[in-house]
Amino acid sequence: MISFTNVSKSYEDELILKDFTFNIDKGEVAYMTGPSGAGKTTLLKLIYCAERPDRGQIVVAGWDINKLKQRTIPFLRRNVGIVFQDFRLLLNKTVFDNIALALRVHYQHPNAIREDVNAVLKEVKLSHKAKTFPQQLSGGEQQRVVIARAMVSKPTVLLADEPTGNLDVDTSQTIMNLFREINARGTTVLIATHNHDLFHGTGRRVFFLRNKNIEKEIIG
Amino acid sequence: MKIFRYAIQTVFKSLWREKWINFLTILSISIGLSLLTSFIMITLNMDSVLQRWAKNFGIVVYLDEDLNKEEENALKNRFLKDTDIVEVKYISKEEALKELHKTLGANALILEGLDENPLPSSFELRLKSSLIEPGIVKNKALQIEQMPGVDEVQYGEKWLSSLYAVSKTMKVGAMMVGGAIFIAITFITYSTIKIFFYRRKDEIETLKLLGATRSFIRLPFLLEGLIIGLLGGIISSLVIFGIYSFTSIKMVEFLPSINLVMASLPFQVYLIVPFAGAVVSVIGSFIAVGKIRY
Repeated sequence: MISFTNVSKSYEDELILKDFTFNIDKGEVAYMTGPSGAGKTTLLKLIYCAERPDRGQIVVAGWDINKLKQRTIPFLRRNVGIVFQDFRLLLNKTVFDNIALALRVHYQHPNAIREDVNAVLKEVKLSHKAKTFPQQLSGGEQQRVVIARAMVSKPTVLLADEPTGNLDVDTSQTIMNLFREINARGTTVLIATHNHDLFHGTGRRVFFLRNKNIEKEIIG
Repeated sequence: MKIFRYAIQTVFKSLWREKWINFLTILSISIGLSLLTSFIMITLNMDSVLQRWAKNFGIVVYLDEDLNKEEENALKNRFLKDTDIVEVKYISKEEALKELHKTLGANALILEGLDENPLPSSFELRLKSSLIEPGIVKNKALQIEQMPGVDEVQYGEKWLSSLYAVSKTMKVGAMMVGGAIFIAITFITYSTIKIFFYRRKDEIETLKLLGATRSFIRLPFLLEGLIIGLLGGIISSLVIFGIYSFTSIKMVEFLPSINLVMASLPFQVYLIVPFAGAVVSVIGSFIAVGKIRY
């Protein structure tokens, strides 16, 4: 589902990833960890094509990133749900509208949008907050809205960048359960995190990033 | 249609949320277009006056003294066959003298002492209105002057040059003013839409990450530009229509003959102005949004 072959990426003169090779299968949940600056976020950006590799090949959900034209990128992104650490919610839109935006860009009919958004709000247990604005929510609730927005378009790949970065243990657990539920429907999930507790005992593959490459791969 | 649903919602929200900046932009556009339409109106009226003057423009061909009737007729036929000439009028020596008597009026006494009629016979020629340009008329006059039996050719050379220069200046002026106003409207819309674009930068970044296409992102801005330009144009048309109707009525009251001179503004102009406003504003908006990169 996600495949990197000898990928190198640098910003200006600083090399971030060097001859990076890894593969995540369809329906797998995998974790990416490592110190700050190890390249976790860059790696995620390469997957959703916010960055292009200097060298090497990247294939995501059947799309060869190197061959993607600018105008084709939106169609890749519709298959990739993204959960950001800083949420990136639109403060002037309600919870409902923030989630609905992910379907509006697909030109879905308003009735279908209403149905899908209400269903996903129910899953993240925020139905009662549909009409509130992001600033009226707690950090955990905001993160659930972001997850709802990422999952509402039923992506084949879900990427999460430090999804529990600012959350307490209980809320983090709730978030991780949501990822498990999403994965149970067949979505491939890749989580970048500092928090080792998130992958301990999961039995999932964990990639340790250091020195511009994968230092080791373990089972969590 | 699907692509318009979100765009239309976004545009109407923005028109309401940013009502003051939108209002000022519409006002600026309508002022610009009104100025332009007024200038076109003035030019059209000037041109109408010039056309009327041009209709009376003629070339006078004085004939040699010793020309007999047959030779005069031959010359007349030659003029009649010339497709550049639309009217040929023969003025005999006697008619010319009568005309001079009329012109001199009370002073015609000075002609009493003449033993014989000193005036030559002549032809008055009217050229096609499309040919009334200083260069063309000059060439035509020279050509006629070379003809056998022609003594001299006269036409208001200086008058024609001045008339032509005024008309040309007005047209060039209209084009320059028009161009400047169109650039100004493009810039006004560009600035407004650029402000909106920056205010919605976060939303646009999020939309890009959610898989919005370029058209999905651009369309609300282009539609907003179109509505702003269209409204500016409609207001301008209404203002011009009002001012023109009012001015015509008032001017005819004071100067009835002005109605003959005043060219009415073609009705299509009232439709073209909003259309032009919309097109120019969309161009401004398109430049403001620029290239969308993912």
